[in-house]
Amino acid sequence: MIELKNLTKRYGNTLAVNSVNLYVAKGEIFGFIGPNGAGKTTTIRMMGGVLASTEGSIIIDGINMGDDPEGVKKRIGFIPDRPFLYEKLTAMEFMRFSADLYSVDNRIFLEKAPTLLKKFAIYNWAHELIESYSHGMKQRLIISAALLHDPVVIVVDEPMVGLDPAAIKMVKDMFKELAKNGTTIFMSTHTLAIAEDICDRIGIIHKGSLIATGTTGDLKRDAGVQEADLEEVFLTLTEEQTIP
Amino acid sequence: MNEILTLLKPRFWSFKNGGYAKDAGNRKLRGLLFGTLGLIFWAGIFIIFYRVLVYFQGVADFGDILARKLMSMVIITLFSLLVFSSIITSLTKLYLSKDLVLVHSMPVSTSKIFLARWFESTIDSSWMVIIYSLPVFLSYGVVYKAGLFFYAIVCLTILPLCLIASGISALVVVMVALFLPAGRLRTFFVFLGFVLFVILIMAFRLIRPERLVNPDAFTSLILYLKSLETPGSPFIPTTWIFDSIQAALTGMMKSTVFDLILTWSFTVTLIFVITWISGVTYFTGYSKAQTATGRMFPSRGLSGIRSAYILNHMSGPTRAFVVKEIKTFFRDQTQWPQIFLIVALIAVYLYNFSVLPFAKSPIGIIYLQNLFSFLNMGLATFVLTAVAARFVYPAVSIEGEAFWIVRSSPIRIRTLLWIKFAVYFIPLLLLAEILIVVSNILLNVTPFMMALSVTTVFLMVPGIVSMGIGFGAAYPDFQSENPAQSVTSFGGLLFMILCAGFIAAVIVIEAGPVYSIFMAEIRRTSMSMFQWIWLAGSFFLVILLCILAIIVPMRWGNRCLSRNV
Repeated sequence: MIELKNLTKRYGNTLAVNSVNLYVAKGEIFGFIGPNGAGKTTTIRMMGGVLASTEGSIIIDGINMGDDPEGVKKRIGFIPDRPFLYEKLTAMEFMRFSADLYSVDNRIFLEKAPTLLKKFAIYNWAHELIESYSHGMKQRLIISAALLHDPVVIVVDEPMVGLDPAAIKMVKDMFKELAKNGTTIFMSTHTLAIAEDICDRIGIIHKGSLIATGTTGDLKRDAGVQEADLEEVFLTLTEEQTIP
Repeated sequence: MNEILTLLKPRFWSFKNGGYAKDAGNRKLRGLLFGTLGLIFWAGIFIIFYRVLVYFQGVADFGDILARKLMSMVIITLFSLLVFSSIITSLTKLYLSKDLVLVHSMPVSTSKIFLARWFESTIDSSWMVIIYSLPVFLSYGVVYKAGLFFYAIVCLTILPLCLIASGISALVVVMVALFLPAGRLRTFFVFLGFVLFVILIMAFRLIRPERLVNPDAFTSLILYLKSLETPGSPFIPTTWIFDSIQAALTGMMKSTVFDLILTWSFTVTLIFVITWISGVTYFTGYSKAQTATGRMFPSRGLSGIRSAYILNHMSGPTRAFVVKEIKTFFRDQTQWPQIFLIVALIAVYLYNFSVLPFAKSPIGIIYLQNLFSFLNMGLATFVLTAVAARFVYPAVSIEGEAFWIVRSSPIRIRTLLWIKFAVYFIPLLLLAEILIVVSNILLNVTPFMMALSVTTVFLMVPGIVSMGIGFGAAYPDFQSENPAQSVTSFGGLLFMILCAGFIAAVIVIEAGPVYSIFMAEIRRTSMSMFQWIWLAGSFFLVILLCILAIIVPMRWGNRCLSRNV
């Protein structure tokens, strides 16, 4: 469902993402972890079509981002790490905006928009301007809007930042439910417990390179720390890469 | 004092680090361009004031009175500008800046935070006024052959002028912030400022200053000049500053020093008072500013704009952006006063045409009316350029940090740019055609001239809008807290210059053939074959130029914005 081939991004002389190769199957939840500045957000932004790659390709649902970016974007629900929105629109207007943008049928919009807003507990503020929302409310609105067009792939950067414990649990359950129904989820996170809890496979990126991929068990084997938790696996693998 | 300096250091370091930024080369180029333009403007102010003062000196009896009155008006204008500019700047610095959360979490007293912020605001709102007031005082010094003492006094009085204006503004802002949340506060002050400005423009225009050059009104002019000798109120700081500079110009040492001491003692007292008041009230106002403002007008739900017939015939993504553009534009209350200002300027613009003294002109009325109509095409499109600079050029930057939505959505940048083009094109075309048609009716022009102006403007408006969108896309500023100000950037300046060039080119190309047609019409003669070919060639060139002005900037903007990721 998601295929990254030699994906590379350079910012001037800085190599942010170095020839990443990866395949994520349909219905899989893939966790992308790494230290600060490792290249997680850059990779996610390239996958969301927000950033152009320097080299390599991104293939989603069989469509190459370079050949048909609009076609790929129609299939993606992109959720960035920082919830910047159109502050002068209301939540319901933003939902309508997203529905129009992704050509969602009006009947489906009228049915799904209130349901999603209720699910994310922002329905009561649906007709208030977004500028009066808290960080968490904006994040919940972005997630609601990203789900409106039933994307086949969800690309999400730090989904739990700014969410309260109840919303975190709800998002985790929802991701599991979506994956069960065939939606592929690619998420970056710093919260290793969440990655361990919901991801089928995890990829560790360090200094722009994908240094390990696999299930938690695979990663423990790679790191040689069978009894440890993901945090220790992560620290061991990234440390090994840092020490020459 | 150390804490205040520490709070100011990030600003100083950011300014210093600008030279090491990635785009340092571009910055130097921009600096050079802006520096050159600024210097030309500075020299222009000096030349104008120098010539006016030399002219005044030649006017028997009244010359010095006029020069004095001019200086008094300059000082009052500078003071008013400083107050208005300081209100907006101090409001942002004290209540709306993004770094305030960090600053207020630091172990520094409220009054010290206030003083650091106020000092920053004073510099930001005053530096340009100071720079451009210097050629005015320099021209006085040169014309009146003043010594170094005069220039020293000018420096010593301009500084308190800025501090007093900024102090009064901060005091007003701090007090009003206790009652209004900061979001509303900005709207309130911007609105107030623009209303005052509009009243000033209307009042100035309606008193018809052009009558002062009319010898018939000379009796009333003498009365007017007599009233000029009335001194200003002794309780206003601008009077002390004016008296001090004026005394220094005429070498009256005692009077200069007295007014200077008066000015500085007031300045110091004012700083003391605002520091004390801010210590008591600033944090309360700042806390209030954190509260979200209620909506000025409640939502009408999903009906309203979406039900517009034309929108239902658009594709989903197009409709999404058209609705978003219109709603965000009208809900941004800072746009409203500017719309009022445009309406006022249009009224003044058209009023000017209604009072043109054609009857007193030695040149033929029909000739003059049509000449004005022809030149009016350039003037109206230039007014339109200014409006486009304020509204169209920032249209891409206004997406701000929410630009990721466009990037991640299944819509091409090119489509987005054309949607923005369409949204701004229709109102601007209407505005330009209203200006042209009404002014032509007031000028009573020939049908040919009416048709020519309406058609030419119809051809030029898309080019101007396209240049605004294209240049805005080529030089976007998604980080700016106020995208409307992006027009003062390098890209904005380039847009204005090239737009002026485009307008001038069209007018120049049309001038020759239009003159031939017009003269043939007046003389009731037919045009030669050469004139017909010239006419066809010129109009073909104008159409070509207008098409290029639409296509090239949009393509360029699309390429730059798509690449600029």
